[in-house]
Amino acid sequence: MVVKQETKSMTGNDAASYAALFAKPDVIAAYPITPQTTIVENLSRFVDEGKLDAEFVIVESEHSALAACMGAAWSGVRTFTATSSQGLLYMAENVFWTGYGRLPIIMPVVNRCLAPGWNIWPDFQDSMAFRDAGWIQMYTKNNQEVFDTTLQAFKITESKDIALPSMPCLDGFVISHTTGQVDLPDPEDAFEFVGPYDDPVIELDVENPWAYGSMTGPVQYSKNRRDLMVAMERAKKKIVDVHKEFEERFGRSYGNGLVEPYGDDEADLTLVTLGTIGDEAHEAIDRLKAEGHNVNALRVRTFRPFPVEDIVEFAKKNHKLVVIDRAASFGHDGPLRIEVEAVLKRHNVDTSVSGKIMGLGGEDVPYSAIIDLVKKELKE
Amino acid sequence: MPVTQKDLMIKPKDALLKGHFACAGCGSALAFRHAIGSVADKAVLVVPASCASVYQGSGKGVAFNVPTINTAFAASDAVASGISRALKKKGKDDLKVIVWGGDGSAADIGIATEIGACDRQENILHVMYSNNVYGNTGGQRSGDTMIGARTATTPKGNTTPRKMVPFIMMANNARYVATASAAFLEDFVEKFQKALSFEGFKFIQIDISCPPNWRADSAHSIEISRLGVQTGIWPLFEWDRETNTAILSRPGKKYGDKANRKPISDWTSLQGRFRGITDEELIALEKDTERQWNFLRKFM
Repeated sequence: MVVKQETKSMTGNDAASYAALFAKPDVIAAYPITPQTTIVENLSRFVDEGKLDAEFVIVESEHSALAACMGAAWSGVRTFTATSSQGLLYMAENVFWTGYGRLPIIMPVVNRCLAPGWNIWPDFQDSMAFRDAGWIQMYTKNNQEVFDTTLQAFKITESKDIALPSMPCLDGFVISHTTGQVDLPDPEDAFEFVGPYDDPVIELDVENPWAYGSMTGPVQYSKNRRDLMVAMERAKKKIVDVHKEFEERFGRSYGNGLVEPYGDDEADLTLVTLGTIGDEAHEAIDRLKAEGHNVNALRVRTFRPFPVEDIVEFAKKNHKLVVIDRAASFGHDGPLRIEVEAVLKRHNVDTSVSGKIMGLGGEDVPYSAIIDLVKKELKE
Repeated sequence: MPVTQKDLMIKPKDALLKGHFACAGCGSALAFRHAIGSVADKAVLVVPASCASVYQGSGKGVAFNVPTINTAFAASDAVASGISRALKKKGKDDLKVIVWGGDGSAADIGIATEIGACDRQENILHVMYSNNVYGNTGGQRSGDTMIGARTATTPKGNTTPRKMVPFIMMANNARYVATASAAFLEDFVEKFQKALSFEGFKFIQIDISCPPNWRADSAHSIEISRLGVQTGIWPLFEWDRETNTAILSRPGKKYGDKANRKPISDWTSLQGRFRGITDEELIALEKDTERQWNFLRKFM
């Protein structure tokens, strides 16, 4: 049965901080960076007002923000931080250390492009740089999904059979600073869904000392990385299961949790997207269909682990995929397009793939631009 | 309670087991065994990239007999902060969170992290074991390298004065700051225990010999450390924030007076890293040593 919820209006960053508040993390580390800052500002207020009983570590850099969370995670408590852009890059070695170390940390990334020049608007270049860091990455389309995904992330990440950190991603400003509708459950219902973190993935113990991250030879090292790959594979089912459980309790869903299709199962052209462009694509599809075009869309919600099977199944029924990337792999193409093409080739699906890189540095991507792209692609 | 020689001989727990990878004559491993052994049941160790990340041993044969978290080079004091906060939240704050790392992390790459933890008054102890060189990468100059030392990146001799990390920590309002020497372990363990009795950020820099990188005979390891104190190169003191006073420690007290010191060349001559040191360099080294003493005297 779906629990009672209250409709509120709040920014995407507010939504992320409410999800954290309801999950009751024990240790939060905070360092300001636009456009993430209001998430940790909200949390500092919750702690100061006594709404949240957490240790709040006001660190001197992002490198230390994640490091403090790592220390807390090794101690067996629930941890939370958030960052953006240059801040994410500054914590780089710890991002990999967390992923490869299988530390259960939740860190929303409010996507913002990278300097130079100084620009605080969104693209996915920051989080895409950490595609291979061993984190679960889920890209959200609106404020509601930020809340829902962040809450789900705790449950996925802290499962003993998964033990992978999570990076819910939200477009800077488009979501982070834009007020929208969010249905908030009671804090108790939200906490009941996440559950207490009383059976930690890892916990240092003076009675039974172990060393973590000592020198490791190639045999054990490669086994550890293979285990990570297997855990990522397991995470696909976990994401679907947690998403389903969430739907039963709160009445909201995003496809199966890995991908969210929109429109008919079969079409002449399919838009493949990430993040808020996926939401904008819905408007474009509706208008194109009204004009008589046979088009649909697939929003990749979970980018890591990559939903290979879902993309293959969807592509098999369709004829032409047009991938919109909000990041670039310089010297090649958009990262989502590269991966979609690779997956189809490997699974012998001959659906054609093309794509366009749009929205870098906050360049607006309105439905009209998407419609123009689709019409051009339909002619080719 | 003051630590006696007897306490040191009967270790409550052997913190450093057989099979560690420390070089012969390593002052750091020796200091580790005595200090960590004195609190082994309560210690949680955080080790940045350092010789200690190597000499702890590997795989299932790790020789550190206490929980040990290895971290990135510049991350240790922040990781320790997170551990300390988590333990506090869990009501386990009787445990002692100790960072054990070298001068590369403490004086150079990790100093911002360290000052950050100090600034926040995190309840941790940072022990900087100091061999004045990037030891485990093969002996490159660090900010803690003395004038005249030949290192892999200063083959003609280092020209810049030593970065005095204890003074930096004093200036940043640490709860307790001390220096120590591997030649005077009772003094070190006493300071170590005293530091752990305080709430807040504590810092100890211990001078340890590094026979391979100092190109010294491992049999001279302790003697070189002792000469470091006796020549005045390494002042032994402790400083308490409450009194803002530095007190010279018993084994090094008389070397506050220049007249009691042995010539610095007694210390340099046992180390290949100073082979070829010129008179000018020796004078500059002596001057820099005096600079440190003069700085210290302002707190005495």
